[in-house]
Amino acid sequence: MATEIRIPDDLWDGDEEAVITAWLASDGATVKEGALIAEIMTAKVQYEINAPASGTLAIVKEQDGVASKGEVIGQIS
Amino acid sequence: MKPWHFEHVAEGLAVEEEALSEGVSTVFTWTAHHSAIVVPRAWTRRKAIADAVFACANSGWPVLTRASGGGAVPQGAETVNLAIIAPASSGLTLEAGYELICGAIHEALRRFDIASETGAVPGALCDGMWNVTVGGRKLAGTAQRRRAALFGPVALIHAAIFTNELPESLWPVLTGLHEAAGQPIEPNPAAHIHLGELLPSAAARPMFAGALVRAAEERLKPWRGTAERAA
Repeated sequence: MATEIRIPDDLWDGDEEAVITAWLASDGATVKEGALIAEIMTAKVQYEINAPASGTLAIVKEQDGVASKGEVIGQIS
Repeated sequence: MKPWHFEHVAEGLAVEEEALSEGVSTVFTWTAHHSAIVVPRAWTRRKAIADAVFACANSGWPVLTRASGGGAVPQGAETVNLAIIAPASSGLTLEAGYELICGAIHEALRRFDIASETGAVPGALCDGMWNVTVGGRKLAGTAQRRRAALFGPVALIHAAIFTNELPESLWPVLTGLHEAAGQPIEPNPAAHIHLGELLPSAAARPMFAGALVRAAEERLKPWRGTAERAA
């Protein structure tokens, strides 16, 4: 079963969207739980996203894409 | 904690990075002797920016990166940085982080009978909703970085305050850098106010920096982690 990589939904109160400024692992790469895999930016905040599980990364939302709170941006299977 | 005075801006950024990695609540201010422009790390992933970075360096403003939000910020002897490291696992939303740092700056200014507000200032560098303004002009810009650390998520909440007017020659340099980063701006120098205008006495500025740290430490107390408080 795949583990979803989501934009946290409790990080900020408003409805602002975030931009995925970088994927630090490639689509299809093997990642370890806890590894830094992506950076997002919203409201002058850089937020680092760590892998929630070990496995193979599937990128759902590409770099420079815009994502909402709680949105799935990738999966690890 | 005493204010840090570094030779180079990179040293200040490194101390922030180290404090964030340790993840223990702290507050400090810093300045650097030599000038540089600090931009978000994401900017340097754009190929078009290389020429602009070279031009900045040739103008005496080397470009450094910071893994944080915001835009281009001139750093050096005339920029006071306030850095707050706070645990972010206890409901410290982005807004709460900004309220913490802006509130501390407001309080420090009040001690010198200076009224301030929070809000955007069109035409200001690195504009955002969470500027600290005086008379409608930008005094302090703020940004944050959030990451996982040993004891859970941690926030670096930081502000930059200019203590003197930026050199006129810097504005075209900054404009070119923003354009190359795909973040065009039409900067208006008059949108900024510097600390020297508000506190003409040079002796008052270290006192202001001390007031900033005390106000930030007081506001940080409720957010300190349970484990930290017990230690």
